[in-house]
Amino acid sequence: MTVRALDNAGAESILAINLRRFGRDRFAAMAGAIAIGFVVMAAFAPWLAPHDPSDSDLLRRLQPPAWIEGGDWAFPLGCDSLGRDLLSRIVHGARVSLMVGVAVVLLAAAVGTAAGLAAGFLRGAVDAVISRVVDVLLGFPYLIFAIGLMGMMGPGIENIVLALVYKEWTIACRVIRGETLAARELDYVEAARAAGASPAHIMFREILPNILSPLLVVATTRMATIIILEASLSFLGLGVQPPMASWGSMVADGRSYMLEAWWISAFPGIAIFLLVLSINLASQGLRDAFDPRYRP
Amino acid sequence: MRFGVVLERLAQLIPVLFGVCLVVFLMVTLTPGDPVEIMLGNERSTPEQAEELRRQMGLHLPPHERFFAFIGNAVTGDFGRSFFHRRPVIEVIAERLPATLELTIVAMTIALGLAIPLGILAALKRGSWLDRVATMVSLAGVSMPGFWFGIMLIMLFAVHLGWMPVSGRVDYALEVPRLTGMILFDSLAHGRFDTFRDALHHILMPALTLGLAMSALLMRVTRASMIEVLQQDYILFAEAKGIGRARLILRHGLRNALIPTVTVAALETGYLLGGNTIVETVFGWPGLARVIVEGIFSRDYPLVQAGVLVIALIYVGVNFVADLLYTLINPRVKL
Amino acid sequence: MTKRRIPSLLASAALLAMLVAVSAPSSAADLRVGFTQDALTLDPANHRKRETETIIRNIYDGVMTQAANGEVLPELVESFRQIDPTTYEAVLRRNVKFHSGEPMTAEDIKFTFDRLTKDKAMGGETSPRQSLLGPLQDTIVVDAHTVRFKLKEPWPVFPRMLPVQEVVSKAWVTRVGDAALAGQANGTGPFRLVEWRRGDSIIMERFADYYGGTPAIPPAGPARVDRAIFKIIPENASRVAALLAGEVEIINEVPIHMIGQIERSGRARIAKANGTRTFFIALNVTKPPFNDVRVRRAANHAVDKKLLIDKLLGGAATSVAGVLSPESFGFKPGIREYRHDPEQARKLMAEAGLSGGVDVTIDTEGAFKDQAEAIAAMLTRVGIRAKVQVWEGAVLTPVWRAQNKTRDMYLSSWGSGALDPTGIFVPTLKTKDRGNSSGYSNAEVDRLLTLADGELDPAKRADMYHQAERIVAEEAPWLFLWVPQDIYAISNRVRGWEPGSDSRINLHRAHFVN
Repeated sequence: MTVRALDNAGAESILAINLRRFGRDRFAAMAGAIAIGFVVMAAFAPWLAPHDPSDSDLLRRLQPPAWIEGGDWAFPLGCDSLGRDLLSRIVHGARVSLMVGVAVVLLAAAVGTAAGLAAGFLRGAVDAVISRVVDVLLGFPYLIFAIGLMGMMGPGIENIVLALVYKEWTIACRVIRGETLAARELDYVEAARAAGASPAHIMFREILPNILSPLLVVATTRMATIIILEASLSFLGLGVQPPMASWGSMVADGRSYMLEAWWISAFPGIAIFLLVLSINLASQGLRDAFDPRYRP
Repeated sequence: MRFGVVLERLAQLIPVLFGVCLVVFLMVTLTPGDPVEIMLGNERSTPEQAEELRRQMGLHLPPHERFFAFIGNAVTGDFGRSFFHRRPVIEVIAERLPATLELTIVAMTIALGLAIPLGILAALKRGSWLDRVATMVSLAGVSMPGFWFGIMLIMLFAVHLGWMPVSGRVDYALEVPRLTGMILFDSLAHGRFDTFRDALHHILMPALTLGLAMSALLMRVTRASMIEVLQQDYILFAEAKGIGRARLILRHGLRNALIPTVTVAALETGYLLGGNTIVETVFGWPGLARVIVEGIFSRDYPLVQAGVLVIALIYVGVNFVADLLYTLINPRVKL
Repeated sequence: MTKRRIPSLLASAALLAMLVAVSAPSSAADLRVGFTQDALTLDPANHRKRETETIIRNIYDGVMTQAANGEVLPELVESFRQIDPTTYEAVLRRNVKFHSGEPMTAEDIKFTFDRLTKDKAMGGETSPRQSLLGPLQDTIVVDAHTVRFKLKEPWPVFPRMLPVQEVVSKAWVTRVGDAALAGQANGTGPFRLVEWRRGDSIIMERFADYYGGTPAIPPAGPARVDRAIFKIIPENASRVAALLAGEVEIINEVPIHMIGQIERSGRARIAKANGTRTFFIALNVTKPPFNDVRVRRAANHAVDKKLLIDKLLGGAATSVAGVLSPESFGFKPGIREYRHDPEQARKLMAEAGLSGGVDVTIDTEGAFKDQAEAIAAMLTRVGIRAKVQVWEGAVLTPVWRAQNKTRDMYLSSWGSGALDPTGIFVPTLKTKDRGNSSGYSNAEVDRLLTLADGELDPAKRADMYHQAERIVAEEAPWLFLWVPQDIYAISNRVRGWEPGSDSRINLHRAHFVN
């Protein structure tokens, strides 16, 4: 990396300054607070949820949110097809959805980045092998993999993460590879190479920090898709089992009730939106705060 | 030189296709489920009748023999007969491809047309209300499941306003000329403007549902990489030298900023070309996905194998086009 | 900037206006059905799918047909009678023509049934429908208008199996080749095929030379609408939307919770027919806890079926005490149903030494997750602590069809389109038969079922099934549930079609009113 406006202060106070800077970006700070709020919600779900999320009562089936006629403030967001409290299910569902979303995004980004850098920087046979593996995986439907995995390993949240990562990393890989292809031709890489830096050093220390933005956006945005995809795998028996709630499966369950009881899929959908929005904005805010070049 | 690269890529196709065949065959063989049982359904039948069906499907052979038979036939272009459609699978797939292709083209046009200008604008006016709104809307777009948006569109434009048809590709009463199977193109080529208009009418809502969903990520990526590029030293340097900002952005910025956009657009195109189950179901669009998904659930092995091969070929193709575009955008990138 | 934007804005506005202005060219005398699934093929002998048959049956007629009330009636034949325990004779109608113009003869009937039952008779392939005709051995042409069906052994269900087989033309099939039947059609039915836009729609038009169909269901005569179209709309909400938007006149598989919306629209009415599918939870009788009949009875007492049917199924299901649908041959009331009685259930559990409760798993497919969860909650209240495990159907079925049963409970169903007990009783409850998920085995039940299979006296036969059903109800290898109704919606402008329990949509007599 070339010129970097480093503060003269020590390491710890840089962190403090940057965090304060992040705090001043009101939008990002708010987003960060919401994201942390979701984590707290997931962690303390049993204490926060007003009801047992699996307590069903068919007499409350499809009960609308409190402010609509027929609603009841005891069940502020209404009830699902089995008469379970939607709010409590959203609070509890945060556990599965956050875990799956974060785990898949992080694992996929890690694997994809390493593979993408290697393919884009080393080129040649490495690139050919990685890229063709990516092509094969991309062309391979989730569904077959999920059913196969279910048949072989049975249900479990770790199997869901596995089933999602196996394909998700290819996206990170393609993005990073494309960026690396362009970056490796730039002067600073030439300079580093001339200075005798090792390929690993050039890839991870020189190129990676300069091409991270798109990956950050892709990864955090894809989180929404992953949370929704989890449901389709759970439907096949691969993932979380009833009566455990997850946002994705709540959204999917609401599909058949779209016209009669929109709230079943709308509220978990809004939760996914808020989570992804907050993570997106917070991650960009953090990046901007920590890397002085990105300050607007 | 370029031609050599193309040849090399074509040569790489062989291990790719072999790999796909092997993986899909293993997966399909190891996955529990028996097409004979599925076909017999709930009817009474004797073990002999089941055995006869199994023999017809070629499932009485040991797996390795089936695999080599499959590879051997595939080389000659014979992918077998679908267990349930009872026809060559290649026919089943070929019938569905044009509808998928047509929808992909229209959806990607919408997605790119929205995402690139909006992404660039959002990057240039970072922090402005336009940027914020675009961010919110695009993230809402990816968080909203496809069926939501699709059904909303149907309820509003088809049921309440009555402007749009609910489902299908074209009105049954209109004559559809045959050429490529893509109705929009075929009807224009034959001068059937009524059919063209009706087909356009039908494709709008599904294409919008897909296009908006695709544009979200594209727009976010374009914005992010544009911002990234604008911070690069060479741009700052050029700016300091006094090169006009607009020219600078177009000549230097956009080029490199578009690389991740191209990557994502290629991935999304590949994804659309494989067909989209939700949109095909909600809008009754007769594309590739539904037929393959049904094949997976009914363990129609030949159909699944051929379907996966086709989709893999599509990805090899779009990723190759992406690589070509990289070099076009930035000539320093070598293929 | 702004100036340059105006023309493009205008252009897009014009485009939108043009689109909006389009009016559907569809004619008023065309009847459109919004249908869940496309046909797999148009060859009547080359599929095993109910939906495919529903479509094909408008183009092809059969030797026999079935009325909405389940009665089997002659269709392409004037008379159909049994002349000895293994022989049936049919005399054909004289005025039946194929769509190609050729008259139908006894040769065509023989050709059709040989194609269905003889090995490799379908262009080298064997028909997947072969097993539907059981012991049919040969079809013999007596004269140009008379055929005999010769069975290997007495098989009283034979007439009931004939409405699901359609007659093809020998001359035409020989001319075009067997493979061509997948996409072309030449039947004797009320509609002829115009065009099949695969995955999108099947377009048919009235066949002017139609002989009129069975006179037993009036009015006979050609179809009353110009064209009949099956539009394929798999998504429930979209199918309902298409009905509400006036794009189709009949839809199948109306989801229960959308019934209210359709009724309120004032455009269409709901029509229900008892289905042919019995739902039950198979209890694994080969291992604890359900090897104890008291636990099985406790499970039956624990479930409030009425509440489930009212709430989850919108009232659109009939509770069953045993195996048979009320529409089925051999159904007799009088089998005692386990009433909802949690107290009794707990008592039985205590008797079985399980007052501390027991942990079990209900296996099911994603589509029935709701029902399984609701039942699990009821079972848990009496000490049968049930968890639900969702599976993909094709993975789950072999698990429960294997002879070695390892799981506890399986929410499942079995349907028999012919509505004859043999189609549901034998496969699901005879020792070691294909669909005997609970691993049930009772020598008396086996004996009765075997006897009934060859019994030609309908009254005696019905008695045998009733006896068997009594034993099964007593021993409770299942948690008996219900037979759901098939729900359709029909536009107020349409008359002349009512759904039957065979789930067919025969549009021959359907017409419009103003």
